[in-house]
Amino acid sequence: MTPQILAVEVRDELYGIIREPAAVFFSIAMPVGFFALFAGLFGGPSDGPVSNATMMLASFGAFGVISVALLNPGIGVAEDRERGWLRVKRVSPVPVSTTLAAKVAASLPVAFGVYAAMSVTAVAMGTFDTDLGTWLAIAGVLLLGSLPFALLGLAVGFSASGRAAPAIINAIFLPMAIAGGLWMPIEALPQIVQQIAPALPTYHVSQLGLGVLLGEPVLDHVVALLATTAVTAAAAATAYRSSRR
Amino acid sequence: MADTVVNIAGLEHRYGTTQALRSVDLTVASGECVALLGPNGAGKTTLVNALTGVLQPTAGHVDIDGGDPRRAQTRMRLGVMHQIAGFPRTLKVTELVSGWAVRSGQPASAAAPVLAEVGLSDLAARRVDKLSGGQQQRLQLAMALVVDPTLLVLDEPTLGLDIDARRGFWRTIAEHRDRGVAVLLTTHQVEEAAAVADRVVVLSDGQVIASGHPAELTSRLADRTILARTALDGDALRALPGIVDITYEAGRLRATSRQAEATVRALLDADPTVSDLRVEGASLEEAVVSLTANAYEEVAA
Ligand SMILES: Nc1ncnc2c1ncn2[C@@H]1O[C@H](COP(=O)(O)OP(=O)(O)O)[C@@H](O)[C@H]1O
Ligand SMILES: [Mg+2]
Repeated sequence: MTPQILAVEVRDELYGIIREPAAVFFSIAMPVGFFALFAGLFGGPSDGPVSNATMMLASFGAFGVISVALLNPGIGVAEDRERGWLRVKRVSPVPVSTTLAAKVAASLPVAFGVYAAMSVTAVAMGTFDTDLGTWLAIAGVLLLGSLPFALLGLAVGFSASGRAAPAIINAIFLPMAIAGGLWMPIEALPQIVQQIAPALPTYHVSQLGLGVLLGEPVLDHVVALLATTAVTAAAAATAYRSSRR
Repeated sequence: MADTVVNIAGLEHRYGTTQALRSVDLTVASGECVALLGPNGAGKTTLVNALTGVLQPTAGHVDIDGGDPRRAQTRMRLGVMHQIAGFPRTLKVTELVSGWAVRSGQPASAAAPVLAEVGLSDLAARRVDKLSGGQQQRLQLAMALVVDPTLLVLDEPTLGLDIDARRGFWRTIAEHRDRGVAVLLTTHQVEEAAAVADRVVVLSDGQVIASGHPAELTSRLADRTILARTALDGDALRALPGIVDITYEAGRLRATSRQAEATVRALLDADPTVSDLRVEGASLEEAVVSLTANAYEEVAA
């Protein structure tokens, strides 16, 4: 596998996102728009050390980053399969694993772009209060934390049609995002939801981001996400194998 | 003897209870073009998939230049056109073809001359999903050629091409064959394939039922009708090589021959006054149809 081949694979997948109006709207414009709305309404000073908008960069930022990582590789695989492109690619010397890795890799800069756009919004509103190092560290943990979701997206992509995949992914993700505290602080959710939250990987991604922001321990969240990765990787592999039959 | 590029022996494939291929043997040498003919469902695409590494056959041996097609390395210089293909709609023609070159270790710059060769230069900047069916076939041909192939495997490559485009297509295939590329193709354009193919292999119900040079196949397997005005009498005509039957139509000879070329040659030698000579008869297409029909009767019997 040469760097040139990987570059071509990633380039193709990036075009698949940025030239696809639906992908740009649902995985870029919409999350950033909602962030601007929420940060404008509730982003001011908080009881804690940083503004609410900065907290939202970790929590709603997790929503934006995971959306990209979950939707694009998943829908991409479902469509490639349906169109017959994946079958065409199977006679090329490039293994499927490279194509899948490229799909996930291509979603990373886009996801980072979403996080960066949200941050710029916060800066513009004067509610951005953390340092560059912490800001980058949050980006790092959100991107890493989105990987198990990318695998989940691939599992759906290998099982569902191109039309069904976005609906299925959103049906799984949206409830998990809200109950995991990505849309509003976990303390603001009903008691029962607060009890369920720690079972959700979305909760652990946003808590990881908040932990980095506030300097709190994050080991539990890392362990939970590693376990999630093992499960979604197995699901993706199983879905891939059954799609080839 | 040219190098054997494709080597298939005892190839079997079963989909559940459907036996798609039964002990198929087939070789293709470099610089040789083999046309795989046969009715729908004969197993052509299954054979192509086994040869290109898409499918793991139930049994038998397949290699390309001695390598297992299931291994990526073996497919570096394999050019393929699929019966059914799809492309990502967000890529432009030139991006797709140059990317395909890079995946096979060729420079991205290899795309431009190949696009010119298949007549897609004007559409290089067009999105792949805006191409017509015939243009998509040409795109597939460009992808097959841009890997600098030693083997071209083409499954129904002329599907959706008009006559002009088909003519150009066959010319391109013949050129690459003449430069030493091994070609295995399936098609329903039997007569057009016969013009390019060095060998025709007829597949029916998963079995090879005939194989040979197109002319050999038609002459061996189908009688031809020779029409002529001649001074020779019945006995002299019956003594000509290949003659099966003679009749007269309005004073004109109508002879059925099993070896039309030999008959005509002998007829012209024996009677310099022959006029109004015409040879009609089974085309390769008719030969294939009659061959496969016989195969079905045998299976049914
Ligand atoms: N994926 C498949 N699953 C089950 N049966 C198949 C599959 N593909 C082909 N077949 C069957 O195998 C036989 C050969 O098909 P195919 O190779 O496509 O023939 P051809 O290309 O000559 O038309 C047919 O009977 C077809 O119905
Ligand atoms: Mg076929």
